[in-house]
Amino acid sequence: MRDIFFLVFLLASLFLAIKRPFLFILVYCYVDIVAPQRLSFFLLNQVPLSLIMFGLAVIGWLVGDNKKGMRGDHLQVVIGLLLLYCGISTIYADFPVEAQDKWSWVWKAMVWSMFLPLVLRTRLRLEAMALTMVLSASALAITGGLKTATGGSGYGSLQLLLDDNSGLFEGSIFSTVAISIIPLILWLARHGTIFNARTDNLHHKLVWGFAICLVFACLLIPVGTQARTGLVCAALLFIFGLRDSKYKMRYLAGVVALGIIALPLVPSAFAARMSTITSHQSDESASTRVAVWKWTWDYALDHPLGGGFDVYRQNELQVTKVIVRDSGGQITREEVPYTDKARAFHNSYFEMLGEQGFPGLAMWLYLHLVCFIRMESLRRRYKAVTDPDQEWIRPMATAMQGGHLVYLMGAMFVGIAFQPFIWMIIALQIGLHTYVKRREQEARWRPLAVQLGNAPAGPEGVGVVPLEPVASRPSSASGWKPQAR
Amino acid sequence: MIDMFSLALSHSLLLLAFWRLRSRDDLDEEAEPGMAHRSSGFARQNDGQ
Repeated sequence: MRDIFFLVFLLASLFLAIKRPFLFILVYCYVDIVAPQRLSFFLLNQVPLSLIMFGLAVIGWLVGDNKKGMRGDHLQVVIGLLLLYCGISTIYADFPVEAQDKWSWVWKAMVWSMFLPLVLRTRLRLEAMALTMVLSASALAITGGLKTATGGSGYGSLQLLLDDNSGLFEGSIFSTVAISIIPLILWLARHGTIFNARTDNLHHKLVWGFAICLVFACLLIPVGTQARTGLVCAALLFIFGLRDSKYKMRYLAGVVALGIIALPLVPSAFAARMSTITSHQSDESASTRVAVWKWTWDYALDHPLGGGFDVYRQNELQVTKVIVRDSGGQITREEVPYTDKARAFHNSYFEMLGEQGFPGLAMWLYLHLVCFIRMESLRRRYKAVTDPDQEWIRPMATAMQGGHLVYLMGAMFVGIAFQPFIWMIIALQIGLHTYVKRREQEARWRPLAVQLGNAPAGPEGVGVVPLEPVASRPSSASGWKPQAR
Repeated sequence: MIDMFSLALSHSLLLLAFWRLRSRDDLDEEAEPGMAHRSSGFARQNDGQ
C-alpha cells in the first residue's frame, strides 16, 4: 500500500516536472529528506532512487533550465574544497570501510549544496525550495507530533515512519531539525505565494491553521523522542523569537503561560529525562560524552589533519559512573569505573575535528559563520523596506538564521556535521544572498538606462523607475534600491 | 493509521504545490527591477526592446 502510494506520488511529480525542469530539483530534495526508498517495502527499495533523482535533477537543469541570472559564490568554492578534503581523508581513513560508507552519502549532500544556489535564481524558487523542505519534514513531524499527543513516546521508542534509528529518523537528530524549521514554517505562512494566506479568508484560515498545527507538532517532537537536545533547541528558539518581538513582555508572559499549561501534560518519563540535563554525574551518557570530547581533542593534537570518517570507533574511554543509593534512609555514593568503547562523538564540532582535523573544522566553521553574518547583514539592510517585492527578504533571512542557530546548538549534542538537511539550508542562504546581490546590481543599471532616454509617462504614469517604494502601488512596480552596506 | 494520515497530508500538499508552481511564470523568469511597467520613447530603445 505504502509502496504504491510513493510510486504514484513520484510518477505524478515527475510528470509535472517535465514541463518545469526546476521541479526535478524539488523532487530530489524531497527524496533526500523523506527517503521513500527506505520507507518502501518491496517496490522502491530495490531501486537506487536517490541516484536516479539526482541524475534527473542535474540533466533537467542542464537541458531545460535557462541559465540566465546564474551567479557563483565563494562559499560554493569553500564547500568544494571541504568536499575534496573529505574525499582525501576517506582514502587515508583509520577505518577505510566505515569511512567509505559515510562518504557514500556525504559527497551527495555536499555536491547538492554546491549546485543548488546556481538554480535558486528567482524569489519563487527560493520559496518553493523552503516549502518543499518544510512539507517533506512535515511527513515525519506530523506523525511524530500526533503519536506523542496520543500517548506513544519514549526515548528511542517513538517510531517516525520507520523502525530505523538512523539519519533523519533518529530522535535527537529529528528533534533538532523539527525545531529548526519552525521559523521557516511561520515565514511561509506569512509571506508565501504558493499557499497564499492573503488571497481570501478561507486561504488565511487553512494556511495558518496548518502552520500552527505543524509548529505544535514540531514542538512535540522533543517531548515524544525525549531528546534533551530538542528541549535545549526549543529554549534557544524562544529566546531568538524575543529579539524581534515588538511586545517583549507579552511574548515572555506567553511563553511562561505555555510552560505552565504544558507541565501537567508532559509525561513523567520525559520530565525525569529532562532533569538529567543539569546533573551530569549520575547520568552515564553525559559523562561519557565529555570523555569522548577529551579523547577527540587529544587525538586531533596527534593527528591535526584528522583521521577520516568514523574515527571515533577506535576510542576507549575510562569513565567513572557515580551511583547514588538510598537504602533505608542511609545515602551511599559509589563510584564505579568502567570502560566505554567506540563511543560516537555526540557533537558535530568534535566530529569535524576528529574526522577532518583542524583544516576541516576551520572550513566548516567558516561556512556557518559567513552564512550567519550574511543573514544578519540582510536583516539590517532590509529593515525599513515596505515594497512588497522586498519586504519578504528580512523575514526570510531571520527565519533561516534562526533555524541555522538552532541547528548549531543541536550540533553541540549530536553528530550532524554532514546532515543533508542543514546543507540544504546553507544552499538556501547562499541562494538568498546571491539573489539579493544580483537584484541590487540590476537596480543600479535600470535608472541610468531609463533616464538617458528621458522617457515620458509610461502606462502606470511614471517615466523614470522609482527608486523609493511608492505607497499603494501594486507589486509589479518594483523599486529595487541598492541597499547601503 | 497515523503514519498514513501524515504521509497522505504532507504528500498531497507537496503535489498541490508542484501543480501550482507549474502554472507560475515567475518560477523561471522574473521581471528585472523596474521593468515591470514599460516606459516609452527613447527609454524603450535603451532597454533594448
